[in-house]
Amino acid sequence: MRSSVKRPPTPDAEEEEQDREPTLQEIINIKLIESGEKERLKELLRERLVECGWKDEMKALCRAFARKRGRNNVTVDDLVHVITPKGRGSIHS
Amino acid sequence: MAAPNEDNLSSHSQLSSQFFGELLDSIIVDVASECHRIARLGLDRSLDDEEEELRLSAQARARVADPSSSGETTSKYVLDIFGQTHPPVANEIFDCMNCGRSIMAGRFAPHLEKCMGKGRKARLKATRSSTAAQNRYSRGNPLSNHSPSSNSNSMNRLSNGTSHVAGYEYSNGTIEEP
Repeated sequence: MRSSVKRPPTPDAEEEEQDREPTLQEIINIKLIESGEKERLKELLRERLVECGWKDEMKALCRAFARKRGRNNVTVDDLVHVITPKGRGSIHS
Repeated sequence: MAAPNEDNLSSHSQLSSQFFGELLDSIIVDVASECHRIARLGLDRSLDDEEEELRLSAQARARVADPSSSGETTSKYVLDIFGQTHPPVANEIFDCMNCGRSIMAGRFAPHLEKCMGKGRKARLKATRSSTAAQNRYSRGNPLSNHSPSSNSNSMNRLSNGTSHVAGYEYSNGTIEEP
């Protein structure tokens, strides 16, 4: 059973298979969380993303989407799906 | 798990990119949540909203400036931008500091004219008490063509009547108001 707190990650088949025993990745994950390193990395990443304007781009996308849909008809899920493709794609460019 | 270094490296990079992806997803959710909040609360004045507001304000302005629809100042039901209605004549009542009477705010200026000496009757009050100097002044009125007569009151009435007929007849009507 996945922990309820864990947000469904991007579809990754390997992860589902390796769920029976703690995978290396999961171990690392846990270690990182425990040591607080993950939080630090996340903040670092957030900062970098703001600096390079990524966050503003994403916000602009959301705004455009909300305008199109009508601002009261938007859900967080919608926005996540709007952002994710462009968001992930623009990072590794 | 005792793999050689190279394998470790590639799996490390794979792991780290996976991990990075997870981190990124988490941040994406945060941003989405933030934008969702802004959208729902209407905090973001998007361009379309601004255009809408500009359009509405232009409409309102046109409605206000258009005399036919509002029925000029006599209509009591013209709404201002706050949706308030105002009577065409201000109806606050207070006391005149000159004569001490209760005056309506909208009628205050004409009242002061009479009260303080600009008006016809006020000047009459002044001339009645003063001497021919006042008569000479009123006879010097450019519109007055009459020769000086003993009855200064009627002469004043006539000359001033021709020049100020609209205002004074109107305001004389209100002088008699209680």
